[in-house]
Amino acid sequence: MEDYMNNYRIMIIDDEKIVGDMAKMSLEQEGYAVETFLNGEAALARLLEQKFEVVVTDLKMKGVDGMEVLRTVKQLYPDVKVIMITAFANLDTAIEALRGDVHDFFPKPVKIKELKASIQRALSNS
Amino acid sequence: MKIESKIILSNAFNIGLILLVGFFAIQDLNLMQTKLRFVEIADDLNASFLEMRIIEKNYIIYQKRDLLFDVKEKIDTAGQLLDSAGKDIIRAVGENNFVSLQSHLKHYSDVVDEAQKSSHSDIDLNNRLRTEGKKLREFSNTITWLERRGVNDIISSSKRVLFYSFVAILICAVFVSHFISQNILLSLRGIEKLAKSISKGNFKKIESAIPDDEFGSVMAAINSMYEEQKNSEEALIQSKKLASLGILTAGVAHELTNPLNNISMIAQTYAEMYDNLGKAQRIEFMDKVEKETERIKEIIKNLLDFSKPKEAHLKETDINTVMQKTLKLMQNMLDVSNIKTKLNFVPDLPPVLIDEYQILQVLVNLITNAVQSMQSGRTLFMATRLGSGGDSVEIKVMDTGKGIPREYLPHIFDPFFSTKGDEGTGLGLSVSYGIIKKHNGDIRVESKVGVGTTFTIELPVYKSK
Repeated sequence: MEDYMNNYRIMIIDDEKIVGDMAKMSLEQEGYAVETFLNGEAALARLLEQKFEVVVTDLKMKGVDGMEVLRTVKQLYPDVKVIMITAFANLDTAIEALRGDVHDFFPKPVKIKELKASIQRALSNS
Repeated sequence: MKIESKIILSNAFNIGLILLVGFFAIQDLNLMQTKLRFVEIADDLNASFLEMRIIEKNYIIYQKRDLLFDVKEKIDTAGQLLDSAGKDIIRAVGENNFVSLQSHLKHYSDVVDEAQKSSHSDIDLNNRLRTEGKKLREFSNTITWLERRGVNDIISSSKRVLFYSFVAILICAVFVSHFISQNILLSLRGIEKLAKSISKGNFKKIESAIPDDEFGSVMAAINSMYEEQKNSEEALIQSKKLASLGILTAGVAHELTNPLNNISMIAQTYAEMYDNLGKAQRIEFMDKVEKETERIKEIIKNLLDFSKPKEAHLKETDINTVMQKTLKLMQNMLDVSNIKTKLNFVPDLPPVLIDEYQILQVLVNLITNAVQSMQSGRTLFMATRLGSGGDSVEIKVMDTGKGIPREYLPHIFDPFFSTKGDEGTGLGLSVSYGIIKKHNGDIRVESKVGVGTTFTIELPVYKSK
């Protein structure tokens, strides 16, 4: 099981450092390779160098925000799954994200178990 | 003294004068009546004296002795008249004249008696008879004439007294009513001046001594109105603050989500990883939780500071600190509306003497208005600098929003004036205006439709003594 998962790379983008740190710790337990970023610009630059299977991004960030990350990722790599987490959950952003083919949408506070389950679903679908 | 009492007093004074004049006129009329009654009696007397003398003359010419009886009869009638009308005569001509008259009559009567007794006509006696008769008639004529003249004197003096009294009453009435009306006008002008100054917005408590008249009542009423207004103004500031708080709370609630999420994720990871964590790592986890709760505490503290009703508390303050504090409170609203900010705060500005939270409230109002007028992605400019005279600090809040139509600009600080329709209470700017004026500052607005609106606040620099 762990060997199987080891092949998967997960990217986490959130300007709250703790979100990245905690998710990374928990997901690495499951055998995923995890990289964390504090802003969209650095994350998108890294995406050009390295293939990731799943991108988990915060919606509201200074500069390049979650919605822009979603659009760019789907444009460049349509098969990469994007999961969005946000402190500003409202219907408009949810609809916009769904139109942008988001895989899942979590309001904060995030349940790590649900996040893991969502990542697993994303990987088994691909 | 009250205006009412003044009017009553002046009327009483005039009525008193009129009564006095009337009293004197009645006195004169009474006297005149007495004199006239005497004149009537005197006319009767004179008539009988005249008859006496005619009979006396006939007696002397014809020497008929029985004519003396007729004279005697007339003398008795006159004597009776004198006795019966004695009181009236004394009142009119005095006792001396009355007694003289009586004695003249007596002498005449004595001479007539003597003539009756003497058996023959005597030239000497006839001469005495004639002399006494003449004396009686002359005396009686004289006092009658004197009394007639007296009546005339009374009439002309009454006329004079009445004339002068009327002149005096007229003068008094004119002067007193002029004085009273001047007095009343003075009070009214005071009230008018006060009303004008209030209508110019100069609504202040009247500190000077309050006079004991209607003007004083008006002043007292204005003072109590001022107190009422001050109280309701304070209530208005507080209620507006709570409305701003509603706007802030929406933003702050979102702001709380991040530290809450962090704590939740730390807890979840901690539980999951518990067995794999060393002691130092566990403590590190808990430290992180502690730090996040500090963050939450800070957010809540800012909100509570803002919402607490406070007595205005003036403190020497650096305006840039207040600007930063405001931006921190508003950051979420700016983020949610996707409004960028461009700041230009001149450092090391002289301090201003302000109630930090009231100024913060004004800034929250201005920024909220700016954000609501702007579309997503626009920029809000904020700046501080030293005022042109060097004795004030200037704050600018400049949006790139819809702008305010020129015809609305003069009303922008009026209470209940709003361009936001049902969404606005129309109190934000009016309360802001009140706060800035209380700080002896000034707030101005410039706006161009489609370009944006700039609010400029000037606050006086605090000069420590």
